[in-house]
Order: sequence, then structure tokens, then C-alpha cells
Amino acid sequence: MAKASEPVLKYVPTTCPYCGVGCGLNLVVNEGKVVGVEPNKRTPINEGKLCPKGMTCWEHVHSPDRLTKPKIKKGGKFVDASWDEAIDLIAKKFKEISDKNGPKSLGFQTSCRTVNEDCYALQKFARVGFQTNNVDNCARICHGPSVAGLSLSFGSGAATNPFEDVLNSDLIIMWGSNAVEAHPLAGRRIMQAKKRGIPIIVIDPRFSTSARLADHYVRFNPSTHIALANSMMYWIIKEGLQNTAFINERTKGFDDLKKTVEKYADCTEIHGVPLETVKDVARKYARARNAVIIYCLGITELTTGTDNVRSMGNLALLTGNVGRPGVGVNPLRGQNNVQGACDMGAYPNVYSGYQACSVPDNRAKMEKAWGMKEGSLPDWYGSTLTEQINDAGNPIKAMYFLGLNPVVSYPDSNHVMKQLEKLDFCVMQDIFWNESCEYADVVLPGTCFAEKDGTFTSGERRINRVRKAVDGPGESKYDWEIIAMVAKKLGLKGFDWKTANDVWDDMRACTPNMFGCTYEKMGKPESVHWPCPAIDHPGTPILHIGKFSAADGKGTMFGLEYRQPAEVADDEYPFTLMTGRVIFHYHTRTQTDRAKQLHYEVPESYIQINTIDAKKLGIKENEKIKVSSRRGHIETLARISDDVAPGVTYMAMHFHKGANTLTNTALDPLSKMPELKHCAIKIEKIAGAK
Amino acid sequence: MAKKGDMLYAWTTDSALAKKAECGGAVTELLKYALESKTVDAVLAVKKGFDLYDAVPTIVTDPKDLDECAGSLHCGTILLSKLVMEYAPKLSGKKIGMVVKGCDMMGLLEMAKRNQVNLDNIVMIGVNCGGSVSPVAARRMIKEKFGVDPDKVTKEEIDKGQFIIEYEGGHKGIKMDDLEDEGYGRRSNCRRCKAKITRQADLACGNWGVIGDKAGKATFVEVCSDKGAKLLDGAVKAKKLTTEPADPKGIEIRAKTENAMLKLGDKWRKRDFEALRSNLWESIAKETARCMKCGACIAHCPVCFTRADKYEQSEPDIMVRAGFIPADPMFHLRRFAHISDSCVNCGQCEENCPCEIPLALFSHAIRTEADKFFEPKLGKSAYTN
Repeated sequence: MAKASEPVLKYVPTTCPYCGVGCGLNLVVNEGKVVGVEPNKRTPINEGKLCPKGMTCWEHVHSPDRLTKPKIKKGGKFVDASWDEAIDLIAKKFKEISDKNGPKSLGFQTSCRTVNEDCYALQKFARVGFQTNNVDNCARICHGPSVAGLSLSFGSGAATNPFEDVLNSDLIIMWGSNAVEAHPLAGRRIMQAKKRGIPIIVIDPRFSTSARLADHYVRFNPSTHIALANSMMYWIIKEGLQNTAFINERTKGFDDLKKTVEKYADCTEIHGVPLETVKDVARKYARARNAVIIYCLGITELTTGTDNVRSMGNLALLTGNVGRPGVGVNPLRGQNNVQGACDMGAYPNVYSGYQACSVPDNRAKMEKAWGMKEGSLPDWYGSTLTEQINDAGNPIKAMYFLGLNPVVSYPDSNHVMKQLEKLDFCVMQDIFWNESCEYADVVLPGTCFAEKDGTFTSGERRINRVRKAVDGPGESKYDWEIIAMVAKKLGLKGFDWKTANDVWDDMRACTPNMFGCTYEKMGKPESVHWPCPAIDHPGTPILHIGKFSAADGKGTMFGLEYRQPAEVADDEYPFTLMTGRVIFHYHTRTQTDRAKQLHYEVPESYIQINTIDAKKLGIKENEKIKVSSRRGHIETLARISDDVAPGVTYMAMHFHKGANTLTNTALDPLSKMPELKHCAIKIEKIAGAK
Repeated sequence: MAKKGDMLYAWTTDSALAKKAECGGAVTELLKYALESKTVDAVLAVKKGFDLYDAVPTIVTDPKDLDECAGSLHCGTILLSKLVMEYAPKLSGKKIGMVVKGCDMMGLLEMAKRNQVNLDNIVMIGVNCGGSVSPVAARRMIKEKFGVDPDKVTKEEIDKGQFIIEYEGGHKGIKMDDLEDEGYGRRSNCRRCKAKITRQADLACGNWGVIGDKAGKATFVEVCSDKGAKLLDGAVKAKKLTTEPADPKGIEIRAKTENAMLKLGDKWRKRDFEALRSNLWESIAKETARCMKCGACIAHCPVCFTRADKYEQSEPDIMVRAGFIPADPMFHLRRFAHISDSCVNCGQCEENCPCEIPLALFSHAIRTEADKFFEPKLGKSAYTN
């Protein structure tokens, strides 16, 4: 019931829960209920402007489908339970399994959609409670290769420059990024740049919505990035367009790179781009005074993901395009808090602020900060997101999922379902019942972005405040609070947080590169970009000015060879399937499909097919067709155009029994990224389908 | 007894409020009196959010709470017209007092035509408006053109053709013309605006034309309706407000100021519309071809109301396909057509557009040209076809 004192019109400035741009918005609250979104024109990130998802991001908050009570599976059926009962059971089971099978028998996974405070709490719980590094977040299947690749190239695994900074560029290259749909308000910066006459080159196998903004669109064969980048670099070096002063002063590895790219003078047969176009793009990039590369999952979600990212690093280092306004290499981080989930140490090899678990001093420091026995924290590299799924049953017996839907969002859905069944015990903590909850033993009701305080760290390393607008439904609780309840039940110390700010300060105290980021400092919409090591430090919008973040201060170029994807089209599965996103949905649609407009726009999945292929197969626009890979088959609608090349297809990943029934689990050896963006499929007509 | 057409100077009798508010605090006092006398049940006003660049609407029912709404925020570019009906259903049918700029007032008049508000229930206290500056643009302007850290600014105003700031350690004014020639300054719709004095509100208030010993200490009030006259009389009778007839010279100065603003508006219309003249279709096609269908231009438009079943109709749109962006051309053409005779040039569509489409420019141009040519206009027809 609304209290009489509750205002009839209250604006709560907060951060959009969807993509990694981190737009500010005002939630409108009327007598204790969220009733709309209004622009927050004061925020420098988006100046009040929002995309279709941002405009409707409030609609799911009071959905009748929200989880409101803990549920325990009894005799194959889920029944409502009290918090005491649920927490007791979780504590008991995790302790039993851990005592019997050791720290490698547990797996912990957090969503990148939830606040930093939740992510920090979960990894602290895993490490303090069970001395395990088997903790990961879904950055693994999005920008894991960026963290790995950019760390190797530049010494820091994050975007180098802010979104708005593209307006200081003389040339923008977008490579494997469809920002207009996946990061619409970063896409807006590209639109602004276009209106100012800044040239834009879009390199993508698909003529995407973003490609429509390009002055020069370059189509290349799917997953041939390294060959194309190497060829560009060959011509840059051949024509003496590299930035020799920058290379000498600030980098290493040039000779290695030069030797490798010698082999790529003309490799059109691999990447499919005419040689003259390769030369032209290479020259434009090298000659621009300030050129920026913006990339996204087109680069990362492949078994060559880390090398693809390093290839972007190579290009920037070769031409001196790092460390000042208007340049850089910027991964558009996918989810609202994918940057933050990694920053918080929900990662199998680092603590918060990327402090490596393998370094004895770091472990000793964390043991002290967390009040643990000396020598108790593990030094081993924990199991990653999809490795944990593969390891389910052996050695992993129990898993804790916070805000995830692996059955829909991880590769090879049939495999995921089979693996989850092998667990002895599984906890799903979420705001809605999703397709994966069936595999849980306990389902816990968490709170959504409108119901909690906290922070999301956006793709430009800006830590944006999330502010509570309304109470959560029913008996739901803050997610960090639920984790703390289990921790306290197990008798663990250091989980006595009262507020999100307490959790944040717990993190700050053991995280040098974010020590200066206090809630107070994040009070204004400008907030602060990490690194920010001291209270009086202004934050760091642009990285690597004068010196790279690596230990030796240098940027590193690598000679990288092109490798084929793990599974390529053949006679049996003659089409290449690429996957991606549409503007109207977010991931597995638990939130977006509950917004009227978004459901109306794209209610079911479709596959983009080239006109010639459709004609050959006798498939009409919007016809229901059968699509199969070696891992499974689905039915979906055909969308026919020349946006994809012959032999190439594209599906958005948002739908159950959709793209991820088909995708491949093969991993990038360096980052353990599965090859979500490339697999082989066949397409068949369905008899009698319209 | 005040009557329609009267021009007065007015100021509050509350010395504490006078200190806090601007120009004698007459507007805040009138709203307070409206609440105290139960002339209205609630007031929709604007208060400061994060800082003086952030205007946040608020509904006030306790007269004491109005103090935090006193003063002006020229970087607040929100439109109030639609907010009450949209977000406070409980207030529908209640009497509401509102402070309105020209665009807020025009928005309400258009909504009334569509039966979306009942003007009998609204007391509009209008304020002169020379235009507003979007918050982020204002901060950039202050940093780049004034050389001042925007966080150090304690007060901003637009006066005598200048944008003036006070900050820790000084004050500075720069001519708006110069700022705008360099791409800074007011929103482009504000530059073209000619609704500077809100004569269709109940009272039109402002500081233009307040001269002599009253300068800065009183508000110029023009009585525009019987409702306005009654409110003013009541406040004076209750000894909340003191008035005296406006100085004739002040009235003259006010008219001059208004005329200068109108001329400026004409200058900008000429400049903006002429640039569109020869390539109108291409320009609309090119700009709207970026649309990502966020719907902000519709949601924030005071003359756009959508059908409740718009996403549930059995027959899908033929010309605006679901699931495709950029939006098909009809997405914008139908909106331009819909608002062609009633766009109030409030600028919300353009300011909130994530695709940088100059929407207000297009719809304002269409309406302005059509107003000069067609008469009479259509209302809603009695039939559907």
C-alpha cells in the first residue's frame, strides 16, 4: 500500500540497466511505484536522450511475473519457502559439497547486468567461504578477449578513451561493432561525428544499421580479421606510413609484427576485400592525424578473439594512435556492468582492480583485508564461465548463478541443459523465472536496478550511480544482502554490510586503482572514470597518456597469424552463421520482452539470409524455416536482403530455442571465449510453411 | 480590483521569501496563496536537482515546500504540459497551479483542444522566457567561452541580451548573439520562439519593465484572465502581496524588450527556414533516415497522444514495419502530418532525439508556413474513414 506521505511525482536520477554506455535517466515514481522514465538532460553521457530500451526500461519493474519468494525444489516441484529455510539449505549444501570435494567442486557466476556491489559480494563469498577461484562473470562470453588482449597490448584491459571523444577524431573506424543497435547512445556519438563531417569507415561482414552511417563500408569474410589487419599493416609499413617515433619511444615488438605481416601483402582470397580497398583503408588510417578504432563482439566472440583484439592494438601502436584525445582502441562493452563485474574481481584469476591471484603479495593482502588465515587463498586459475558448465558433474558439483540464464545465452543450449542436470545442487538468484531456473534446486528473488542502490561501470570506465527508486516486490532482497545472509549462516566474517555503500567501501579498501572513487565523488552525473587511486585524484578519462599501463610502460605489438574458426561451412552445413543483437531486445529478453513496444517490434527470432541464397532455396520473406547445426536445430523466420553476403547468415541471440541452440562451444585458448559468432549451419524449407 | 489587461508591479510581503526568490518573489507568493486559499490543490513547479543546471519537476501541496522552487533555472529545458496527466492520475480533476513558460502554456492549450486537460482546473502563472540552454551545452559554453569551471557557478541569468554568470570570484556576461553565432547559446527552437510573454496564461509575470526603485525588487504582472485577476486580488487582500500600477515608462520598456526578442525570433526563423527551402525533402529524408524508433519525439510531444492499442492491433502497420530500423519514412511523415497545424515548437522532440534529427525545425517550419496560408483549420472530424 502506498503511504500517504509518498510523493505523487518524484524523479530518481539513475543509470539505465541495459547496455554498457551507461545512460543517465530519471525514473518517475508516483506513490511508491515506478510509472515512467523521463530524460535526465543534466548527464553528460547521453544528455537526456535514450534508445527504445532506455525509454521502456521501467516497464518490467512491477511485472506480476517478478519472483517474490524463495522457492525450493521438493520432489521435482518448486514450492515457496521462507528465507530461513532457503538460506539454511544453501549454506548446508555448499558446505557439505565443499568439505567433501574441495574448492574445485563449486562454481560461482555473476551477471554483468547487476551492480558492482553484488559482483564484489559474490566473489568475496566464493573466495572467503570456500577458498575457490571458480568464480566468473558473463564478460567471458562478451569482452573477455578485450580484457586479455588489451592487457597484453597496452597493459590495461579496458577502453582507452571516452565515447564522446570520437568527436575529437579525424577518422573513425568501426570494426565488428554495430553500435547503433547494440550501444545506441554511443552510436549517437558516431552520428554527431558524421554531421560534423568526420569520416567513418565501417568494417563488417554485414551491412548493419551502423554501416549505413559509413562514408566507406568495407565488407569482409566473417572471422578473417587478422588477415585483413595484417594486410593493412603490411601496406602501412611498405609505404613507410608507420609512426616511427612513437614505435621507437613507446612500444616493443615491431620487428616481430613486421616479419609476420610480410606474408599478408595480398590475402584477398582469405578476407575477400579487394587489395586496392585494403591499401586505401590502411593509408587513411595511417595518415589521419587522430584515428580511433571502435570495436565490439564481432572482434571478440571467436576462437581468435584475443588475437583479434591484439590486432586492433597492433594497428593503433603501429600508427601511434594511443594516449591522447581523438584516438585509441575502444571496445564497446556490452552489458551495463560488464566492465564493473570484471573490475570487481568476479574473475577466476584476479581480485578487484585486476590484482592477480597468482601473486603471493596480493593473496596475502586480500587475506588480511578479508580477515582470513594466512596462506588460505588459492593461487590457481579458476574455472571460467563455460568451462564450469563443461565441468558440471565432475569436478563441479554445486553452482551459484546470480542473474544469469545460461540455457539461452551460453553456446550450445542442449549441452548446457544436459550439463546443468548433472549438478548435485544449483542456486539461481534472479528477478524473473527464466528458462534456466528449471535446473535449480533453490531459486531466490533478487531486486532489479530500480530497487537498489549501487553502481554500474560503463564501457568508458565511468562509474555511474544506481539509485533506489522503489522497494522490491514481495520478499525480494538486495542481491548482496542475500549473499551476505548465506555467508553469515556459514559463520563467515566481513559480511556485515548495512548498505551498498558499505560493500563498495569494503571493495575500495583493497583496490588501489579505485580507492579514490567514493560514493560522494560519484554524486554528480559526471561521476568519475577509474583509475582513481586517491580521494583527491580527478579520475582518468583517457588511458596511456605518455606511458602505457604495462609494468615496463611500453605498448606491445605482436606478430599474429590468421587462423580459421573452429567450424567452417562445408558440404553438409554450407552456410556460415553469425550472431548478434537487435536494438529492441536485451539478451534473453526477461526484461525487454515485458515492454510493449519492444515485444511488438521483434516478438520472435529471425535469420537474415542473402537474396540469392533465398531464391536458390525457394524461401520467401518471413517464411518459417528450419536451421540446423551439428548441435541442434530450430525453426525461425527468414528475413531476406543483401545485408549479408551469399553463404552468410545472421541471427540475434535473444531467443530461447534460437541462435544458441546452434552455436559452437569451441574456446579461444587465451581468453576461453566460446566461438559464438561463427559456426556452420544448413537451412531447409519446412513442408507446408508459409 | 484587478481586471484583465491591468499591468502592475507586485512583490511579496514575506521578507524571508523576498530574499530567497527573484524580483520580489511575487510568483512564489501567488502560488503559496493559491495553495493556502485552496484555489488550487497542488502546484506543479520546478526545483533544482543536482545543481543549477538540473531542473526537476515537483508537485507541491504544502505551501512551505514552494520556497525550494523559487528562482529561475535557464538551463532547465523540461516541458511541464504533459507531466501531470501522465504521472499523477490521482490529480486528474483536481485544481492545479503551474508556472509556465511560453512552450508549457502552448502545450497546455493544445492539450485542452484534444480534451487531455481541462483548463478550468489549471491556474497558469506565466513567466517571460527569452529561451533556455540545455544543461550540458550550458556547461560546455561556460567552460569554453567564459573560461569558468561550470561547477563554480553560483547563479546564471539571461538579461539584456546577455548570458550572465556569477561565480566564486566574479561575474561575467557575454552577448547571446555572439555566443549563438559560434554555435553556443539557447536551444535552436528557443531562438525561433515568439511566445515570449505568456498572455494566454492567467497572469503573465516577469522582470521586463520593472524600473526605478522597484528594479530587481518587484515582478511585472500583466493580468490576462478573470481567474488571474481573482488570484491576484485574493493575495493582495490577504496581505501576502503588495502591488502598485506599473510605471508607464516600464510598460514601454517591457514592450521594447519583447519586440527586440520577437525580431530576434524572426531573424532565426529566416535563417533556419531559408536553409531548408531548396532541399526540404532531401533534408527530411536524410536526417530521419537515422531514426532508431526510441519514440521520444512522440512521448515528449504535447500534441502527440498515441492510441492505447497501438501495439496490439491485429493488422500490422503497412508503411512502418515492426522490427526494422532505421524507421521507415512514414514513421516521421505521419507524425509531421499529425502535428502539422499544432506544433508549438517546444523543442522536446529534437532535444531528446538520440539520432540528432532536427525534428522541431521541420515541424515548426511546416506549421509556420501553413499558418500563413490556410484558414480555417480542421479540428477532429465527426466521422472516421
